[in-house]
Amino acid sequence: MKTLKLTLVSAIIILISGFTSTAFAQSKLTAREIVDKAYNLPTGDDMTSNLTMTLINKNGDERVRKIKQFSRDFGKVEKKIMFFISPADVRNTSFMDWSYDDPGKSDDMWIYLPALKKVKRISSDSKSDYFMGSDFTYDDLGDRKVDDDTHKLLKEETIDGVKYYVIESTPKDPDYMYSKTITWIREDNFVGLKKEFYDEDGELLKVLHIKKVENIGGFLTRTQSEMDNVQKNHKTIIKLENVKYNTGIPASKFSERMMMRGI
Amino acid sequence: MITSKKSGRSLLIVFLFLSSSLIYAQQNINLNGFVRNYTALSYKNGDMTMLQNTLNLDFNLTGDKTALKANPMVYLYGIDSLDLRLREIYLDLYFNSIDLRIGKQQIVWGKADGVFITDIVSPLNLTEFLLPDFDEIRVGVYAAKADFYFGNSTIEAIWKPVFAGNELPGPGSIWYKPPEFPAPVTFDHSKEKIKPSLDNSEFYLKYSFSSSAIDFDLMGAYTWDQTPSMYIEKQIAPDSTGHPVLAGLLITPQHNRLYVAGGSFTSTIKSFVIRGEAAYYNGKYFQTKDPQAPGMLVEKNYLHYVVGLDYGVGNLKLSTQFIQKYIMDYDDLMKDDEIMNTMTFLARYDAMRETLHLELFSYIGLNYGDALIRPKVTYDFSDGFSILLGSNIFVGDEQGMFGRYRDNSMIYTKLKYSF
Repeated sequence: MKTLKLTLVSAIIILISGFTSTAFAQSKLTAREIVDKAYNLPTGDDMTSNLTMTLINKNGDERVRKIKQFSRDFGKVEKKIMFFISPADVRNTSFMDWSYDDPGKSDDMWIYLPALKKVKRISSDSKSDYFMGSDFTYDDLGDRKVDDDTHKLLKEETIDGVKYYVIESTPKDPDYMYSKTITWIREDNFVGLKKEFYDEDGELLKVLHIKKVENIGGFLTRTQSEMDNVQKNHKTIIKLENVKYNTGIPASKFSERMMMRGI
Repeated sequence: MITSKKSGRSLLIVFLFLSSSLIYAQQNINLNGFVRNYTALSYKNGDMTMLQNTLNLDFNLTGDKTALKANPMVYLYGIDSLDLRLREIYLDLYFNSIDLRIGKQQIVWGKADGVFITDIVSPLNLTEFLLPDFDEIRVGVYAAKADFYFGNSTIEAIWKPVFAGNELPGPGSIWYKPPEFPAPVTFDHSKEKIKPSLDNSEFYLKYSFSSSAIDFDLMGAYTWDQTPSMYIEKQIAPDSTGHPVLAGLLITPQHNRLYVAGGSFTSTIKSFVIRGEAAYYNGKYFQTKDPQAPGMLVEKNYLHYVVGLDYGVGNLKLSTQFIQKYIMDYDDLMKDDEIMNTMTFLARYDAMRETLHLELFSYIGLNYGDALIRPKVTYDFSDGFSILLGSNIFVGDEQGMFGRYRDNSMIYTKLKYSF
């Protein structure tokens, strides 16, 4: 009965957001406005989740990485802290990122290496690095700032009865690792469900598919996604579990003290 | 090596610790660790200079307000030479804005890599020079540590009642390089030990500040010199013609008190991470050729500092550091150089989805043009299992701290399974 109620509430939220978005669509949104809405979907004041990454190579061999993560929006800055649970050789490593709304301000990032017993500040250029050997960069896992790219509405497309905006985003930084991305954003709720990443030569490099979106506590949450590297024929599957919103994570959680203490 | 009696006592402590942990534990008991084989061959003569198997166990019991940790480590050298070390065993107590840690613990300070400037709380195990991994080179110390947190600041206070000095290689080790003496030498170790007491305690204080723009800390210490000073007494006796000649030397190692003040910082400038660390040491005794100097030693103060730069581009990480040690009020009879300059370089490249790691790390002594060059390749065969092939190459002038070991260049492998 409770499940039915929740499902009903979720359906209503999606329905309402559908109506709202239809109204926006009718008013001819610009590409930037569409991306802005997709980037700024409600995500709650804070979130806790368990993240499992499965790395699959071209032979089908799998490697699994598990992480516990916490994030909180402080207004002008969003703070995130991750604790690595497995594999064993990286257990208790932690990573902290402070991401600022100010487009001119780079992220602050720290990593704690338990073998060195030391928190090290790292360059925010590391956001282009691949995360734990996966097909996701640090940037792919976070939300890129809307004005880091120039956006163009290529077309509107209907797939399986669902209408999508197809947006091409070109980075303003010519040295960025992708020459462009193309994103399929649902017109009814502004959830991006597919994204293509093109390398510096303009060739298709990776495709991100959102496999599962769940309504958790009133927030649309991408709980399963898959990134395929089409050039190297390997992929990474990410699953989010135990997702909780607005649990009141204290500000002190996002500190060197907690990085060293662990979960 | 420790005796079997000592081993048994250490095992008993671990057993009691774990038993109590299991009895009182609510949850969150973790057992991690690794098994590792380390084999090294000398370039010079093909001798096996290292055959070591290691079992590292890391027990953790964590709760909201408390945590316990025990980290026994067993080294097996050759076939039956056993060395059991209890690297850490401590209790944590967490309050709202204060953390307490009591017991044997490794404490790491400073921002420099591979250089120990403000990082002076835990002494070093130098029995294999600087070759062990840095988490294994530090020796745990018995201490009570309190961290007070307020805003973006932390004050850390440490009381260390039991002295532990650097562990140095002894006769028989390939890393034992005693200076040449003009006469037979005898050692008197009676003054080397420091009795645990309040008077003999060491105290450390650090203020840390962390912000978006910069992380920095300031530290002070009332400590002991972790390397003993060698007091040399000349023994004169008449020769066959009745003339007095140098018949021997009596060397008495003794630790002296040091006052240390310093700090470190790290910040980012565009794609670079810049780091710095400096400390002023007051009360260090250096060897001198001055025959009038008591014990052939002279007390001087010195400055030790490092500046470093890190840069990353894709999977390639680059890092360099410049280190200088400057002895103040220098006199020409001292055996140490007035200024000692060293650099470090690190290049690391991760390939094959971070399963293959290529690394080149080197120390370069600028005074004598000597170096320790450490290339290595690590392949993560599967999650938790890695294979390492590396080399430690010592080159340059024998007067330099790296060149003096040029006969010890080696190739080595490490197979490691983490669980």
